[in-house]
Amino acid sequence: MKYLDIAMEAAKSLGADYADIRIQRSTTETIYLHNLSLKNTSTDILDGYGVRVFKDGAWGFAHSNVFTDDQVAATVKRALEIARLSAKAKKGKGLVLAEERSYIASYRTPVKCDPFSLPLKEKVDLMLEVNRMMMSFEGIRQAVFYLLSHKDEKLFASTLGTRLDVITQFIDPMITATAVWEGDSQSRTFDEGGRAVGWEWVTELGLLDKAKQIAEEALIKVKADTLKEEARRTLILDPNHLGLTMHESVGHATELDRVLGWEADYAGISFATPEKLGNYKYGSDLVNFVGDNTLCEGLATAGFDDDGVPNQRWFIIRDGVLNEYGSTRDTAPQIGLRYSRGCNRATSYLNQPINRIPNLYLLPGEKELTPAQLIGDTDDGVYIQGRGSFSIDQHRVNFQFGGDFFWEVKNGKLSRPLKKVLYKSCNPEFWGSCDAICDERFWKPFGVVNCGKGQPNQTGRMTHGAAPARFRNIRVGGSQ
Amino acid sequence: MKSKYEKIAEFVKKHVKADDYSLRIAARSSHETRFAQNAITQHIAGDNVDIDLEVAFGNKTGRCSINQTDNEALTQLIKRAEEMAAINEPDPEYVESAGAAAYPELANASPATLALAPKQMVEIIRQSIANGEKLGATVSGMTEKHFMQIHASTKNGFSGYHELSEFGHSMTLKKEHIETKVSFSSKDFGTFKLEEEIAQLNGQFQSLSDPQPFTAGKVPVIIRPDALMEFYWFMLWMMNRRQSDEGLTAFTDQIGKKFMGEKFSLLSTLKDKELVTAPFSWDNVVSEETYWVRDGVVETMPTPRYWAKLKNLKPAAPFNVFIPGGKATEEEMMKLVPRGLIVNRFWYIRPVDMKTGELTGMTRDGVLYFEDGKVKHAVNNLRFNEIPHDTTRRLLALGESVLTDSSVKLPAVLVDNFNFVDTTSF
Repeated sequence: MKYLDIAMEAAKSLGADYADIRIQRSTTETIYLHNLSLKNTSTDILDGYGVRVFKDGAWGFAHSNVFTDDQVAATVKRALEIARLSAKAKKGKGLVLAEERSYIASYRTPVKCDPFSLPLKEKVDLMLEVNRMMMSFEGIRQAVFYLLSHKDEKLFASTLGTRLDVITQFIDPMITATAVWEGDSQSRTFDEGGRAVGWEWVTELGLLDKAKQIAEEALIKVKADTLKEEARRTLILDPNHLGLTMHESVGHATELDRVLGWEADYAGISFATPEKLGNYKYGSDLVNFVGDNTLCEGLATAGFDDDGVPNQRWFIIRDGVLNEYGSTRDTAPQIGLRYSRGCNRATSYLNQPINRIPNLYLLPGEKELTPAQLIGDTDDGVYIQGRGSFSIDQHRVNFQFGGDFFWEVKNGKLSRPLKKVLYKSCNPEFWGSCDAICDERFWKPFGVVNCGKGQPNQTGRMTHGAAPARFRNIRVGGSQ
Repeated sequence: MKSKYEKIAEFVKKHVKADDYSLRIAARSSHETRFAQNAITQHIAGDNVDIDLEVAFGNKTGRCSINQTDNEALTQLIKRAEEMAAINEPDPEYVESAGAAAYPELANASPATLALAPKQMVEIIRQSIANGEKLGATVSGMTEKHFMQIHASTKNGFSGYHELSEFGHSMTLKKEHIETKVSFSSKDFGTFKLEEEIAQLNGQFQSLSDPQPFTAGKVPVIIRPDALMEFYWFMLWMMNRRQSDEGLTAFTDQIGKKFMGEKFSLLSTLKDKELVTAPFSWDNVVSEETYWVRDGVVETMPTPRYWAKLKNLKPAAPFNVFIPGGKATEEEMMKLVPRGLIVNRFWYIRPVDMKTGELTGMTRDGVLYFEDGKVKHAVNNLRFNEIPHDTTRRLLALGESVLTDSSVKLPAVLVDNFNFVDTTSF
């Protein structure tokens, strides 16, 4: 596209130390079905370009939705002017960028059936059928099916000579049944958090069976007992739940921009500071976390990040010890790293990219262990499925999580359903208390497509994964 | 610029074939400068427009939005929305678009904000950093200005336009264990006084110098306005008329009842000139002076147009938040209880249980312990599990209402027996 060349030539002639342009069209299809009423069926298209200019150790970023030669050149000029203004408030000589070479490449999310080319009726028919299934249960007062499909089409060029052509997309079906009974209401949700695939995945999920299951479980949940008093108990957490736990307590804690204090004003900083690299015991010896933007069907998998750095796989926590961070070209040199791990991503064309959590997962246990054996080996505990309430401090140390469905475990058996369960823990106590992880047969990926971070706020996406795991001696109790 | 949006509206009106439509155009021009650890880290400028069209054939709807304004793009916008509606399933809860209505003329855009130059914004940051460096601390924050133009029109004759501006500046000061923050947000840059913000920030910073451990429990707490905004925002979010009527929230069957404490009122107001006040909602409900809660009695709740039609109610949407305050100063509040805490801000508030309205969250940016009417020392951060509507029944005193966000004005309050359930490790 000619605008890539116009922008790069303008940046060079104006004297930019480095510049890139990201032309991006983001298309989002949303279908929201509430109690058989289609509350929103929409397609949103955001089309434009953002230009980053690096000058004298500082960034300027300007964006526009007007596609003309003059406007592209004017946007580059504006970005340069802003970079010069930024340089008036820099520390020392300012930022430096990690080394990188040029690439000419393309990437496509592997999609068999593109939801954007599928007739709307086919999608809505399935959604109505699923909704009817949930509404057919007496006591279910609210049935929701939310289907989100998203596609990003990007062209990227940098003054390093890189030219990228990247199309990524994901789909995320979510169904919720809410039961009302004797003055209480409780919900149960099926949501795998989105995956970088097409409609074929939705048809493989067996959503009618899931609808029946969650409606039945919502009715069980609303009538279930609560735990009341908080006590030290054993927790067994399913992979979906662990996806959120690791996102909050490991993923955000190991973003290098937070470690450096760049998010101090809003999203927060991190306790996992650089002097802890290689020596801080973050978890038990069983705990291995991998950052992997090469993960097949991963939401952060895109071939390259928005710095033009190729996707990579690396250990963030190895044998329980903090090993490395997720980094970008401007954060990596701050702790002496020569190269970025390729974690710089923007939500849409009008966002300056920021340091993001990569696809991040907990490796499965090496010894054969099934979930049934894990529960069978637990005398007294609580088994939590799915995601619920979550809250963590701005240093990523102390947290409280709920869940979506709970079972009390007694003498190796699921003894009774529970509701309103909460647990409180902190780093490194929580991951240090992990004493068993099921094997790779039970490892499952779960996505996050609404990770809020930054000022102005951006919404990021990444995939997490785990096998069911057990944690000892955690404070577990009920809400008020 | 207004005429540009009128032209788009004319084009849509002329070319839409559907039985009904609602058009909303939101244009935004922004300049946003982030700084952290005493240096600018991000610096963003640009304009964008969102053109959102919903159409209906009978009760079959389709919606599309784009950010391109040429006729070809607008033609595609209409085509996509109409194609979607034509093949969609009927929506039994569809409500026709709003008809012609008069809406209040409000001054939401400030000339001082519009005139603010990027150079001035950088100078504000340089002075903020200089203050941090003088204290041997780091300062992080964001300085931003926005100008927005909103146009709305419908097939049934609603037509509206309004403009608004916003200026914001925040500063988080950090030195070793001390972290504290101030933030300013208003439609009018002319009311911003950096020296006052810095004085407040430095005052908070000094007060946090000697933290002592504090054990969680039920304790009287002075919740400063920024913290109260975060806490009560979730309560307003849960006050949905339909969800309450369906038995899903704590507000079920509470209309007309003294469900909250009598010291507590909550309204959206057209009368306060400092507040940004949208004259009509995203669904074209015209803003009217509305008490959601008056002296503890729940008078009404935000009510979507479909639910209003079904239940023969008036549709209502919150367009700003105003909690009338009292006259108590912090010093006077401290004398009303033997001991307690003062909270600057809350952080990461999330619902724990929708039916009871219970929330969890933590303190952030400074907690102070007071005893015998005087601040004694800072304490560690704490986690709470609390029910906001329940805390209105435990209000002991209210301070003067102040602007915490361009569309939010509320007081500091003294709440008895606030339920802290855990301490954090810093």
